[in-house]
Amino acid sequence: MIEMLLTPHVEQYFILAFILLGIGLFGMMVRKNLITILMSLELALNSVNIAFVGIDKVNHLIDGQIFALFTIALAASEAAVGLGIILSLFRLRKAENVNEIIDLKG
Amino acid sequence: MLNQLAFYLFASISILCGLGVVVASNPIYVVLWLLGALIAISGIFFSAGAELLGSLQLMIYVVAIAVFYILIITAVPWRKLHKNEQHNRLIGLSVLPFIVLLYAEAFLVVMSGVSVSKNKIIETITKNYGNAEVIGIKLFSNYFWAFELMSVLLLISMIGAILLGRKEEKTYD
Repeated sequence: MIEMLLTPHVEQYFILAFILLGIGLFGMMVRKNLITILMSLELALNSVNIAFVGIDKVNHLIDGQIFALFTIALAASEAAVGLGIILSLFRLRKAENVNEIIDLKG
Repeated sequence: MLNQLAFYLFASISILCGLGVVVASNPIYVVLWLLGALIAISGIFFSAGAELLGSLQLMIYVVAIAVFYILIITAVPWRKLHKNEQHNRLIGLSVLPFIVLLYAEAFLVVMSGVSVSKNKIIETITKNYGNAEVIGIKLFSNYFWAFELMSVLLLISMIGAILLGRKEEKTYD
């Protein structure tokens, strides 16, 4: 048992990624503020990166790290557009919580 | 073995900070918990031997994106933030069993035995060169098309963020 804990295996990375993904998912649903919803989304995206790196580490590959690189770029662009939308929503409607955005046509 | 101990340390820190991201009520504290989680995840990358990814995580996530969130939080007034309840407790209570179900499913999948085939071609190349060089070679040969597409995506999102974030004269209410 101790030997199994002290050698690297792919399951530990998967378990950590699943735990962080669940936390991020729960945060996305339970939060009311739009900014904190986006922050929980960042946590979920990072958990996927952990799974990619874990596969690479155990399987001695390099492709997962490249996909994790793409995920980081995707998260950066998602944060830029999402925060721009939040800022303009607040500036035009004075709304920042998800339950205040009730109509679509401005 | 030292790698494993570092992994367990960083994993516990990241889970703790992730719980803080969900639970904390003040948005500034949420940003700080997220910062701790991101730094711990970059530590996991370093302990797994992905140096380039860990340093990029530090540079892009911890510096750029977290500062971006703090900038946006300063644009939102504080009085309203403190007045409102930050959590939707009814939705939280009704969603919690499904999250537990997700964890149970992951546990079952791990216990039933997931295995991936061993392939040690890259390992010898990684020993000769460094991690960053190997990633660069792969990125600019096999994944060049995806790399170009990602640069186009970044350009599009930059234009969209500039268009969305500019000052408007009129408001709708």
